[in-house]
Amino acid sequence: MKSLHPLTWWIWSLLIVSAVISANSSWLAGISIAGATILVWRFAADAPWARSFWFSLKIGAFILVIRTIVGVLIGVPIPGTKIFEFPILPLPSWLAGIRIGGVITQERLLSSIHEGLIIVAVISLFGAAVSLTSPHKLLRVTPIVIYEFGVATVIATSALPNLVQSIARIRRARLLRGDEKPSWRSIALPLLEDSLSRSLELAAAMDARGYGVSRKRSRYRPISWRGLDSVVVFAAALILSYTLVVLR
Amino acid sequence: MINFSRVSLVYPTSTKTILEDLSFEIAEGEMVLVIGSTGTGKSSLLRLINGLVPHHTGGILAGDITVDGVSTQLVRPGELAHLVGIVGQNPAQGFVTDIVEEELAFGMEALNIAPDVMRKRVEEILDLLALAHLRNRAISTLSGGEQQRVAIGSALVMNPKVLVLDEPTSALDPIAAEEVLSILHRLVHDLSLTVVIAEHRLERVIGFADRIIHIAGDGSAEINLPEAILKRSDIAPPIVHLARALGLSDVGLSVRDVRRMTEEIRTSGKDIQRDVIPLGEIAISTNKLSLAYSEKKALNSVSTQIYSGEIVALMGRNGAGKSSLLTTLVGINKLSSGSSEICGIKSGDLKGLVRRETVGFIPQEPSDLLYGQSVESECKQADKDNQSIAGSTFALLKRIVPSINPETHPRDLSEGQRLALVLAIVISAKPKVLILDEPTRGLDYQSKALLISLLKNFAKELNRAVLIATHDVELVAELCDRVIFLAEGEVVADGPTLDILLSSPAFAPQVAKVMSPRPWLTVSDVMRAVAE
Repeated sequence: MKSLHPLTWWIWSLLIVSAVISANSSWLAGISIAGATILVWRFAADAPWARSFWFSLKIGAFILVIRTIVGVLIGVPIPGTKIFEFPILPLPSWLAGIRIGGVITQERLLSSIHEGLIIVAVISLFGAAVSLTSPHKLLRVTPIVIYEFGVATVIATSALPNLVQSIARIRRARLLRGDEKPSWRSIALPLLEDSLSRSLELAAAMDARGYGVSRKRSRYRPISWRGLDSVVVFAAALILSYTLVVLR
Repeated sequence: MINFSRVSLVYPTSTKTILEDLSFEIAEGEMVLVIGSTGTGKSSLLRLINGLVPHHTGGILAGDITVDGVSTQLVRPGELAHLVGIVGQNPAQGFVTDIVEEELAFGMEALNIAPDVMRKRVEEILDLLALAHLRNRAISTLSGGEQQRVAIGSALVMNPKVLVLDEPTSALDPIAAEEVLSILHRLVHDLSLTVVIAEHRLERVIGFADRIIHIAGDGSAEINLPEAILKRSDIAPPIVHLARALGLSDVGLSVRDVRRMTEEIRTSGKDIQRDVIPLGEIAISTNKLSLAYSEKKALNSVSTQIYSGEIVALMGRNGAGKSSLLTTLVGINKLSSGSSEICGIKSGDLKGLVRRETVGFIPQEPSDLLYGQSVESECKQADKDNQSIAGSTFALLKRIVPSINPETHPRDLSEGQRLALVLAIVISAKPKVLILDEPTRGLDYQSKALLISLLKNFAKELNRAVLIATHDVELVAELCDRVIFLAEGEVVADGPTLDILLSSPAFAPQVAKVMSPRPWLTVSDVMRAVAE
């Protein structure tokens, strides 16, 4: 798996994301999350950025739960099979059309989960692309003409993995100060400073080593597009075209 | 080769002048050492050489800097890449690729150098820095010393005329540091490379330096021969302090020179009595402790006891398992087998207030423990956590650093002040055991002396146990009673500091090398021997 082209998984994830969105099916969303999980679990290298996927899954689960709760409790009711009933919260008259609480129908619950699942799928597919591709390799295939973009890509793609590492380190340190449940502020502040200084450091190092000076870049070792890359991209394209043509 | 003419530097957000009207010239093939307390602008001076300051950091620069005739004001740092190679304080943060070979090639790729030339140069560098066997390894799996060598290699591969290094040995154990420095020494002599290096631990580099730039901190700087600067400077390695204390007419810079001057003292000095410290109760106890990170064994059957009132150093090469042992003791890692207890409490059961009162831990990055917006709010938080009288933590901090401003943001403190703040916070809970991971990394001599007296007081007066993981042999010689030596996760030696440090030349402090075979580790040891 080492030799796959760095763009392959990114193209793959973009195609699948488009497929999930265009199909608007929670089945496809579920399958793609499962697929991404298997791919990452099976093929991701043992590197810091590989953990990004599990991080993105956690964020996804969090969003799903919050979205479902909010989606069920607030909003326009969908008529259907009643599961249970909450008391309706009285709201001022100028908020007509919106209500909090009330009858929870099966349809309403399902549509909330359905929308949530699609968001989770999009997030986790990007997480999988980050996990499966070395950010450093990605940089080597970005054209030098978009210099700022190249620097930004490297920093952005190494930011998520660095974030995961830093969170673990800072949480450990907070624990050591006897703080069993550190507040988000006590983690967020050092975290922000940490990732910012790391990113600046990396940008300075790239600058000092002549990145972006020459308009052309030679390659020490060519990164070639091989058959397997085409297979992966083709398979994803097939799924997309299926959702575009057949499901419409 | 490098020419500073009337250079002044001010950062826009600060009122302090970093450098003022500085002029000097560095010739080809010279090795120049930059010294100064933390926060005086050593890194700024280094980064001026390739234009990262002010191009990358902002700041107002007056005067002119030329490198090999090219003015750094007129070109971007990248356009000097073939002239100046720069290695930052933390090489791991500057790596752009994952594999050693690709990292070496990165700069040349950016400059569009033909593939066959690249291959040849990469091979040369791999051989020169003894990296050939690591060429296909992932950089993240290398040890600290190896990473430092890769960082130096990726700068050298561009065939620069100047190599700039910012504290290249601060994270390295004595042996790895020696390796890196001797490579630099060879490059200066064989290839006539110009090297500018900033370092706090003068004892490691002083023997290699041709000249020293001493930055005073008030904007002024002096450039001169090492002997001339060290005769007066308060930043000096232990052998210079030794020469001063003994009243020698010259300061010697190498162990050999000072040995010649002190022959008489070695023969006439009396044996000194060392105080035997009475052992208190057991503070830390491990029994057959083992730890593994996904298949890789980090600690293997470590059994040891540390008593209260004792200051113990944990030494060993990079990756020997020092940090793993410390974090296991404080209960962060799940042990695979064996047991670990602090004051009778299992490490894994430490929580909340009980933890704060039992064990204080200062991690490698002390700033991880800080999140307040000012020194004052940090201290208040500590008071609240420990249910102590309001203001007691700040009072403690004031005793350590009298000049500290309570309004300062913790990030704006100097390295030494930040460590003092973290120490004050941790000590304010009066823990029975204090554990520190590499506390002297990036500290100047002044802050180090402060740390030593603070820890001595804490351990001896309050009868507490202190455990320090460190590479700094001079610190160990001054401070510690006992040394535990780890290799590959196993305890290979455990005994009084004197015995352990004298038994291996690589880990012997400078004074001990000068005074060998007499068992004196520090300047004060020698003075006592002379006086008695």
